[in-house]
Amino acid sequence: MTPPVRIAQLSCGPEYSGVQQEINEAAKSVNGEIFFPDIALKDIIKDFNEFGLDVRSPDLKLAIARAKALVEGRIDADAVFIATCFRCAEAAIVRNELRRYIHTHSKLPVVSYSFTERTTAGTLLTRMEALTTIARRRALLAREVQEGITLGVDSGSSTTKAIVMKDNQIIGTGWQPTTEVLQSARDVIAHALTEARIKREEIDAVGTTGYGRFLVGRDINADLIQEELTVNSKGAVYLADRQHGPATVIDIGGMDNKAISVQDGIPGTFTMGGICAGASGRFLEMTSKRLGVDITELGPLAMKGFSRNVPMNSYCIVFGTQSLVNALAAGSSREDVAAAACHSVAEQVFEQQLQEVDIKEPVIMVGGTSLIEGLVHAMGELLQTKIMVPKHSQYIGAVGSALLASGFIRER
Amino acid sequence: MTDYVPMRPGTVTRYVVVESLTITPSELAIRAYEISQGVMIKETCFGLAINGEEQAVDSLIAKLRTMEPDHIFVKDRGFLPGDPRRCRANHGGARPGFHGIEFETAVLPYISHGLTEIRSRPYSDIPLPESPPETKKLDVYKLKKIIEAQEP
Amino acid sequence: MAKVFIYPATSLILSDLVARYGHTPLSSAIAIRERVQTAGIESAPLQITPEEPKKGLKWAAVEVPSGVRGRMSLYGPMIEECEAAIVINDADLAFGCMGCARTNELIKFLVREKGVPRLDLDYPKSEEEGVQFVAAIKRFLDGLGGGR
Repeated sequence: MTPPVRIAQLSCGPEYSGVQQEINEAAKSVNGEIFFPDIALKDIIKDFNEFGLDVRSPDLKLAIARAKALVEGRIDADAVFIATCFRCAEAAIVRNELRRYIHTHSKLPVVSYSFTERTTAGTLLTRMEALTTIARRRALLAREVQEGITLGVDSGSSTTKAIVMKDNQIIGTGWQPTTEVLQSARDVIAHALTEARIKREEIDAVGTTGYGRFLVGRDINADLIQEELTVNSKGAVYLADRQHGPATVIDIGGMDNKAISVQDGIPGTFTMGGICAGASGRFLEMTSKRLGVDITELGPLAMKGFSRNVPMNSYCIVFGTQSLVNALAAGSSREDVAAAACHSVAEQVFEQQLQEVDIKEPVIMVGGTSLIEGLVHAMGELLQTKIMVPKHSQYIGAVGSALLASGFIRER
Repeated sequence: MTDYVPMRPGTVTRYVVVESLTITPSELAIRAYEISQGVMIKETCFGLAINGEEQAVDSLIAKLRTMEPDHIFVKDRGFLPGDPRRCRANHGGARPGFHGIEFETAVLPYISHGLTEIRSRPYSDIPLPESPPETKKLDVYKLKKIIEAQEP
Repeated sequence: MAKVFIYPATSLILSDLVARYGHTPLSSAIAIRERVQTAGIESAPLQITPEEPKKGLKWAAVEVPSGVRGRMSLYGPMIEECEAAIVINDADLAFGCMGCARTNELIKFLVREKGVPRLDLDYPKSEEEGVQFVAAIKRFLDGLGGGR
């Protein structure tokens, strides 16, 4: 068995929130091992003073000193997990600054998280898996070219996607709403294979990702079962042809959003948010239903409107939608309402998530929602940049899986 | 979710920390082993952790204290000696509380000195320490000096 | 014999002096021992389960971070129980149970609000301050009565 990935924990509060056990378990389930960097008191004082962020909480001082010991190589680690209490301003400042500091001054992959007493190992699993993958599988993630014939399946919370690739080209696609997880996967695979005119036996390797990755992966005997943070990063820079240098990947999904700061195709820091439906693709689905248009028509409609014309009192999927309905009743145009919905989602992702990653150009939007032109436009306005949406962006996870799966062909 | 079954419920654990020029932690440990009766003793980085029935632990500690009363310090501990949940061997680093003890250990010589001194000095000779949260009033003579210094 | 809340609640020095002069120190270790010695659901390392931050709602509202509320579930009952308190005000390097500045501010306030006899001190920084420190504590504890 490969030795566990050593994850240094920098934290304040998890033991007292009753979630340390959840952190330990999440790490353990992906063959990771949480440890606390050991430093002497005199170094804590010295490192804290040198870092210069004069916080009051002793455990945050300790976290700062431990971060410094990691960056300066006095303590070895494979990855870093930063965790502090949700709603603590002091800790949020430290969390952000340490994440940035470690990301800038070392090659250590970092994930930061703010927990509540309700945080479970399940919530942390995808993040931990990404962290250990980046630490352990750098060789796999270095792949830039798809080889042979491979199949990638993304079993997402809203939709299931499949892609067949051959010799670095996409030759078959499948897409449908997720209903019964396995059946949806089988259907999209069949569709992709038919489109590609390839038989199942001809496939050299298979990769799965998304919420249903384990279930589907076992069902179709996948070579690679991988969380969507690393897979989507790879897929995004591959499709956008930005495999070298920095990039930022934004994926507004049906159930959660990912914002990933990527360097040479490998995620450096990332956030995954999934608490609020108002910041997800679901909000836009609800809006399009209310406007009586197909979700594919929402984007073009929004491009013709002005979000500023519609007052939104809330980001919430319930109360925010109510604002939109009220606006319609008060005579606002459907175009303006569509634009306001797109702006609302973009703004919420911007405020809640993009503050936690360093935005570096190019910004690549992927996932089904990247096809909603109005949303991409709203995000571009907020970030003051032109956002790239590569071809096949809605298949991002499936493409990333198919690309990475080709690393397993020779192993066979 | 796993059920949790506590080890040795009803017992107490206390740390015994020695801050002395004449006794080392290992000498303290040897003495403790000699006189221990049915208690668990573990040497730690800064002294001993002793676990057992409260009365037995306290009576052992009282005997140990006679070795050098002003230089042996005691505090409670929540965990059993060597509990894997707290032991640094299992976590790469010391538990956070360790650094607190590390800090106070540096202050212990002053406390030892104080313990010895107050036996021979009457209270009336010992001024109260300044009450930290109160800001001291400006001395009237100092104020006068400042006023005078302001004059051209 | 009085129950004396000590701050920092992890202090070896205060724990020792209070017990040495015949009173009962109320410290973090007592609260942790209570949890470590009670059967229930496993929640390493401190046996503080996600239920504890909910118990902490008695002392801090729901918008207060879980780590503060979890810590308050340790200290809240002790503050209610205490008959006196000794507070070291420059305890900036007490970690873990005392590792959160917001909790510490709340603890000090609640102790002050309770109105029990309280001694405020700084750590001694010289031998002479050590004498004053120990004398002040002994005088304070003797004044509580019932000690040794």
